[in-house]
Amino acid sequence: MSYHVVVIGAGSTGAAVAHDLALRGFRVTVVERGEVASGTSGRNHCLLHSGGRYAMRDPESARECIEENMILRRIMPEALELNDGLFVALDEQDLSFKERFLAACEECGIPAREIPVKQALALEPHLNPHILAAVQVPDGVFEPFRFCLSFLATAKHNGATVLTYTEVVDFVFQGRTVVGVRVRDRRTGEERVIGGDIVVNAAGPWSGKIAAMAGVDVPVVPTAGVMISVGRRWNRMVINRLNMPGDGDIIVPQRRTAIIGTTSWRVEDPDFIPIPEDHVRLLLDRAERFIPGYTRGGIRGVFAVARPLVGRRGVAADGRELSRTFECFDHAVDGVEGFVTITGGKMTTARAMAEKAVDVVCAKLGLEIPCRTREVPLLSYRAFF
Amino acid sequence: MPTWQLRLLRGRPGSSPRLETYRVELPAEAYLIDAVEKIWAEQDRSLLFRHACHHASCGACGVRVNGRERLMCITPLREFSPDGVIQVEPLRHFPWLGDLLVDVSPMMRRMAEVGFAIIRRDELTADRPLPEGIEQITRFEDCIECGLCLSACPVMAADEAYLGPATLAAIERMLAEPRGGDTARLLTLADDPHGAWRCHSAMECTAVCPSNVDPASAIGRLRRRLIVEKLRRWIGGGR
Amino acid sequence: MREVPRWKRASGWIDLRGRREGGLAFLLMRLTGIGLVIYLFLHLYVLRLLAQGPEAWDAFIAMAKSPLFLALDGLLILGILYHALNGVRVTLLGLGIGVPHQARLFWGVMALTLLMTAIAAYAIFTIAG
Repeated sequence: MSYHVVVIGAGSTGAAVAHDLALRGFRVTVVERGEVASGTSGRNHCLLHSGGRYAMRDPESARECIEENMILRRIMPEALELNDGLFVALDEQDLSFKERFLAACEECGIPAREIPVKQALALEPHLNPHILAAVQVPDGVFEPFRFCLSFLATAKHNGATVLTYTEVVDFVFQGRTVVGVRVRDRRTGEERVIGGDIVVNAAGPWSGKIAAMAGVDVPVVPTAGVMISVGRRWNRMVINRLNMPGDGDIIVPQRRTAIIGTTSWRVEDPDFIPIPEDHVRLLLDRAERFIPGYTRGGIRGVFAVARPLVGRRGVAADGRELSRTFECFDHAVDGVEGFVTITGGKMTTARAMAEKAVDVVCAKLGLEIPCRTREVPLLSYRAFF
Repeated sequence: MPTWQLRLLRGRPGSSPRLETYRVELPAEAYLIDAVEKIWAEQDRSLLFRHACHHASCGACGVRVNGRERLMCITPLREFSPDGVIQVEPLRHFPWLGDLLVDVSPMMRRMAEVGFAIIRRDELTADRPLPEGIEQITRFEDCIECGLCLSACPVMAADEAYLGPATLAAIERMLAEPRGGDTARLLTLADDPHGAWRCHSAMECTAVCPSNVDPASAIGRLRRRLIVEKLRRWIGGGR
Repeated sequence: MREVPRWKRASGWIDLRGRREGGLAFLLMRLTGIGLVIYLFLHLYVLRLLAQGPEAWDAFIAMAKSPLFLALDGLLILGILYHALNGVRVTLLGLGIGVPHQARLFWGVMALTLLMTAIAAYAIFTIAG
């Protein structure tokens, strides 16, 4: 078998799809218009979800998260800081969620346990001393760039070709079947056609635009969020607010920084997202409630990026209401053959998204090849170069 | 909202590069990476530049800003005056691929050769008793492999075989926390005319490092260690 | 790293744009080093006169007492002092000692170099002149 699959996008989804395809014996070409992870994946909050954040509102997504969290710990140790997470109750209302939260975690299979406030404060001396409760979960932190590079390095090792700074400008059809893409090499300006038996659209919040190029509709809702990195690592563990997911309720530590996030608003064009000043104020204000003096080490960077949330076709909803789970669209149902879109999800669930997408690709080609990405450890991200 | 003037190095290999001026409107709270990304998004889609995380974690957006090596993502625009010009050029001592883009693979291959532990013990908790069920906390190495130190190092300009500050600092880190790694191989790698001895103490690596690595001190420690090893061999192995 | 002609690489270490004290110290160290090597050969060339008898040597000494020549002596001392004092600084830094103070050490080296050169120049012009 030597089917050739073109993957559009070298973010976490595209990288994981390329790895899965290569491992199942496909010939793979990844096209990415910028650097690896230069879109949503790179500008991520870096949180390896335990699923705790979604346990109460979005249990499906929470289950995916904990399962993938445990798999990633095995297959990409190089790109992870394993430092656990705390859900802390800042007020009585938060505290009222505690039992429900613990029950929801148990329901989703997330190992969560309450630790005494005193112990939590001993572990996290900069935490607001007035917290009312603390629950520990297996959150972690990843390095987003290396996350994607690890998948791509392994894919390349298994024969995949990765073309960065190569932008898809059009689709090539034979009748109603996609048979390839026309790409422009942004370094030389030259255009050429890359043929493919299947084209997988893994362009994250841009997947709607890519799908439109092929004349189909993908209900992706680019939903931006702001994050602020400061000059000091105040916390070792990820600090979450014990409540429903909301704005400015999570501080992710990494190396010597801590990052407060996020906010949520819908954007039309994810290419450039201006940062609303009131979001910055809100985040800093919220951070102060977790860690008094959060900005004392100075603000290091402020950034925004769009999440690729999946809406329901024809249903208006956005932001926090949308599920964080993912969808794979076989556009045969839209009358276009040879074209698949995989979008939505979290970076934590990238491997599972890839598994689903490649299962769809296999089914379309009438193949039955088992997925092996759960077991196979990834190469070092440096092997990409 | 203030308007900023950026002068970007443009061009492709094979033709001589030129400086082009762009004007971009952004609040003073924005960062240089926002300005460059906005120019790409709204004015010139052919602009090549590297970036990923926008918070100094990935090391992709290293450039020279008014001659000095910086990460665009943590270079705030408020440092500059809207009346002045911010000149942005690619890093030196890397193969140039066009505009602000360079090929970092020579550095990455050298780093891969060192193969150092990418995860280190967390100093905050290293000596703190952890509750049952919490494993030893780890975090990423400080080095984000951005290449700023290689670009700033004048020895890199003259000796392309020089291992370079980032690689030597990585070797030193690995020796400090070997976790069962092969220290003899690393010492051999460092003990080379193009290794630790090639450094001329221009100190620019430590001056430009955005991530607290301090390669200059690391190279110093590495040399001390090499000297001690040599003395030990010389005294112990004397016939 | 590749496709850079050798002569162009030299411009890499001479180019001071964006550099700070450490880079400046490095550049001065190289330039004074090159200068001292050139001086060494000049010095050997001049010493050769000793073999040509007292007249040749005395004629040279007479020339060496001209103000222009004495000024060059001052320059030589400046170069030697900088190279020697910064050599101590670089030796320490190269072993990882005093790295956080490297810029201050550089200005210390400069101050000491200028001070000692001034004293030397004073001595040269008063004694020789």
